[in-house]
Amino acid sequence: MSGNFEVIGSRAPRKDAPNKSTGKARYIEDIKFPGELAGALLQSPQAHAKIKRIDISRAQALPGVVAVITAQDVPDVKYGVSPARYDETLFAVDRVRYVGDEIAAVAAEDLATAQRAVEFIEVEYEPLPVLLTVEQATAEGAPWLHEQFPDNVCAQVEQEFGDVEAAFAGCDLIQEGSFFSKRQDGAFIEPNQCVALMDSDGVLNLHSSTQVPHYVQRTLAMVTGLNMSKVRVVKPYVGGGFGPKASATPIDLAAGFLAMKTGRPVRMAYTREQVFLFSRARHGFTHHMKIGVKKDGTLMALDHRATLDGGAYSSFGIATVYYAGSLLGGPYKLPNMRYHGLRVFTNKPACGAQRGHGGVIARALFEQQMDVIAERLGMDPIELRLKNMMETGDVTCNDLAMSSLGMRECIEAVKNGSGWDQKKGKLPKGKGIGMACGFFVSGAGYPIYRSETYHCTIMIKADEDGGGIVVYTASAEIGQGSETTMAMIAAEAVGIPYEQVRVKSGDTDFGIDLGAYSSRTTLMTGHATKEAGENLKAMILETLAQELEIDQSRLDIKNGLIKISGDPVDFSAIRIGYIKEHRGWQDQPSGDELTFREAARLAYLRRGTLVSTGKYKPPVLGGKYKGAAVGTSPAYGCSAQVAEVSVDFETGQIKVERITDAHDCGQAVNLTSVEAQMQGSVSMGLGEALFEEVKFDGQGRILNPSLGEYHIPTVMDMPETKCIVVESGEPNGPFGAKEVGEGAIMPTIPAILNAVRNATGLVLDETPLTPERVYLAIKKQKGA
Amino acid sequence: MLLPSFDYYRPQSLPEALSLLGEMGEDARPLAGGTDLLVNLKLKKLAPKVLLDLGGLEELKGNRADDGLVSLGALDTASRLASGGPEVPGLLAMGAGALGSPQVRNRATLGGNLVTARPAADICLPLLALGAKAVLAGPNGEREVALDGYFKGPGYTVKEAGEILTRVILDAPRPGVGGGYQKLGLRQAMEIALVNVAAHLELEDDGKTVALARVALGAVAPFPMLSPGAASALIGKPAQETCFSEAAEAAAAEARPIDDHRGSAAYRRDMVRTLTLRALRQALSQAQGNQEAQA
Repeated sequence: MSGNFEVIGSRAPRKDAPNKSTGKARYIEDIKFPGELAGALLQSPQAHAKIKRIDISRAQALPGVVAVITAQDVPDVKYGVSPARYDETLFAVDRVRYVGDEIAAVAAEDLATAQRAVEFIEVEYEPLPVLLTVEQATAEGAPWLHEQFPDNVCAQVEQEFGDVEAAFAGCDLIQEGSFFSKRQDGAFIEPNQCVALMDSDGVLNLHSSTQVPHYVQRTLAMVTGLNMSKVRVVKPYVGGGFGPKASATPIDLAAGFLAMKTGRPVRMAYTREQVFLFSRARHGFTHHMKIGVKKDGTLMALDHRATLDGGAYSSFGIATVYYAGSLLGGPYKLPNMRYHGLRVFTNKPACGAQRGHGGVIARALFEQQMDVIAERLGMDPIELRLKNMMETGDVTCNDLAMSSLGMRECIEAVKNGSGWDQKKGKLPKGKGIGMACGFFVSGAGYPIYRSETYHCTIMIKADEDGGGIVVYTASAEIGQGSETTMAMIAAEAVGIPYEQVRVKSGDTDFGIDLGAYSSRTTLMTGHATKEAGENLKAMILETLAQELEIDQSRLDIKNGLIKISGDPVDFSAIRIGYIKEHRGWQDQPSGDELTFREAARLAYLRRGTLVSTGKYKPPVLGGKYKGAAVGTSPAYGCSAQVAEVSVDFETGQIKVERITDAHDCGQAVNLTSVEAQMQGSVSMGLGEALFEEVKFDGQGRILNPSLGEYHIPTVMDMPETKCIVVESGEPNGPFGAKEVGEGAIMPTIPAILNAVRNATGLVLDETPLTPERVYLAIKKQKGA
Repeated sequence: MLLPSFDYYRPQSLPEALSLLGEMGEDARPLAGGTDLLVNLKLKKLAPKVLLDLGGLEELKGNRADDGLVSLGALDTASRLASGGPEVPGLLAMGAGALGSPQVRNRATLGGNLVTARPAADICLPLLALGAKAVLAGPNGEREVALDGYFKGPGYTVKEAGEILTRVILDAPRPGVGGGYQKLGLRQAMEIALVNVAAHLELEDDGKTVALARVALGAVAPFPMLSPGAASALIGKPAQETCFSEAAEAAAAEARPIDDHRGSAAYRRDMVRTLTLRALRQALSQAQGNQEAQA
């Protein structure tokens, strides 16, 4: 659905490419302030213990140490992600709950001194029972990690849509299966880092590697007790986030307190090991599903139970546990669905959000079971999916509205693109082919805190000489290309070339933007940018219409030129005025058409600096049941993938040879960026399917807190990936656009699972599919 | 992460290096590529007072071929070994090419791999299978030590604190000799092997009978180990599946794997069998290829 666009849908070069490819891009590490102090954290070596005593005197006495702070030195304010579940304090008050829990922070003249001082802090612990598994945490008599959460239950969800039992009674086939996944790490390339400093206006400035400047600003203000206007968060270039950077970190807060206390800039950084300790990445999930279908393949009912090993704090977990259920409402017509979700506290780092959030493993099991059902019914897996898929206009049983859904186009694209019909059932031994589908939100329908706030605001200022525009946005470019996206949307909306747009982003002084999470930026910030662009255009054309004494409806701007419909209009006075103002310049406007430059200059001369604004918040979305907000979105992206694998029966090794990937993003703003998100999703999904697992010893210490021993895919492991972009035209998206960043990961794991099943006959129920796990399953199958 | 503070010396000759090492004893650590040492310093696993950079020592550089033997300098990088050359046996090139990533291979050295002596070291295994000897220079001159007997434990060898590993001596590549290297890990690069196997085969002039064989096993003992049982299942026999299978069984029986978070002992033992068989097939094909090329 390609509209008649000038800029949208092109492969415009990314705004950040020159800086990033020449090493000029500035990340936190590259931004230095005079007089910086170095901060360091004391983190608990014990997974669960009472703190009997903390003695900081030796650390304070160390030459070069400027400040040491513990829970005694900061307000007793609990924070977290969801206000209903604020359960964290910056520093442990009387108890530590995981290896890595923060106890104190030091600021010193240099990092070596700060780290030494941390070692000089004496803490007396009284060990408590360490609960490392859901079974241990929910066992009779297990101590509670938090007094306000009995039996270590962080959250429990009970939902039923339709009548599941009645539907099962009328089904011809019932399929049941379980799945177990492991805790992951976000493995972004840039470990979290920040610098905090007070400025002469009394504003606490925090420069941080984050996905969410606004939420960090809000948390920092709340915990320090400052007004929001006295806290500014600036995000320079960021080396990836993937979810774990979607909330304030203890170093954001500790650096803020230390800067306030010392009056000097304070820098704090996580090492790679500390990134693993902070975690906030994908939970370990256990799912059980019972699915009922009719003989003809019609899906009738799902009964779904999920248990999440949450770690020591709530973090994003309340959203995660809801998403794990709600994201099975589509993309198939499923009239009856029951969900029982449970998130449990354990003495490990807190889990949170990661690409695809709570939906990824639930999707993996559901799609695997779809394949088993297809086989039991003697249907092709693609036929079963086509039979049940939703279409534009459908609403799920849990009230999610598919305002556009190119599911059929995606399925057919991967079927044809992979040569499915030539391969399925005809591959040699050891080779397999499998497919899966998925869908995802284009931005969460509601903010994390309850509010009627706009989700984003935009300011656009035209250059006074009319040469271009600057878009000011508080949104977060974290490597996904949002600055480029906003520049393209603004260019299209105003009617000028992409090159004439500059974007300033990632600064809370520029307005409100909830940040880069839930695949929201293109749709939501894009809407606000489009509105601001259209407003700017209207301001310019209004002035021009007055000047030319014609009706404004006759005027438009396209590709930097003023389009005047109807009879010719004499604009020579405007041109002469412009040329007179610019004696000595060599690039005077010429030609038969008035330019944007002349019109924008004129508008400035008549009204002063041209500033337009835009804003966006979704309409009221979703149902009325408890938890109805999680899963709502103004639009949903969808996708299908075919994976082709080879399995080494003698070692259990799996090689993913090819992925054919189709994603409906509504309308590609930048085609190259859409494909890059699809490829990135394949890489991340492949890692989760085959390699990634954070492992713990019996004391709750991470065994593999490095990218040497925690295996993410290298380029050598990437399959050949064919990306097919489907454009269904989303009525609720700017220029028809919706998400691609997270939805694209949904089919990857189940497509691989289904391909492995096709190669081996095995229904594997545990990721990652390590060679050993696969080998043992093959051996067991042979023995059986 | 910060490096701890240390003094840094860059001696310009082997005698100077040995004399510095003698003076400073246990306080000093020789530095070659630094791919292990610098990481361990940052992780605070080691805290030497002095780093002795061997990069200036000409005695540790360059490859020489003489009288059917080759002598490889300890400072040869993995990437140079991986790119082969007339003095570098194919088996060694395969192992070196499987180490880490291009960046790591550009830094990591032959000597460093032997001194660090990890149980799954990608360069140690081929050298062990090739019957190489390490040359250790000390205050009282040089000694040659066969690698079979050189390894004592993870990161622990017969090299004494005052010694520097200068060169490795092994048979020059020749027709009728072939090697096979098999490495099993999760991913295709930046990987420590779950199990790795290096096999070396020398054929009689008939092109069929095994004259000499060595099978080295990685990640299944505290250090890279040879499987004598595998060797004796092969030597004097026709190089074919039957005796390869016997050798693989013997290797699996002699491996001493343990359970750890990377894998179970039982899986590793099974993989020793599979990888040994594959490495022997690969070695045979290389040996026969050599011989045919010569003929």
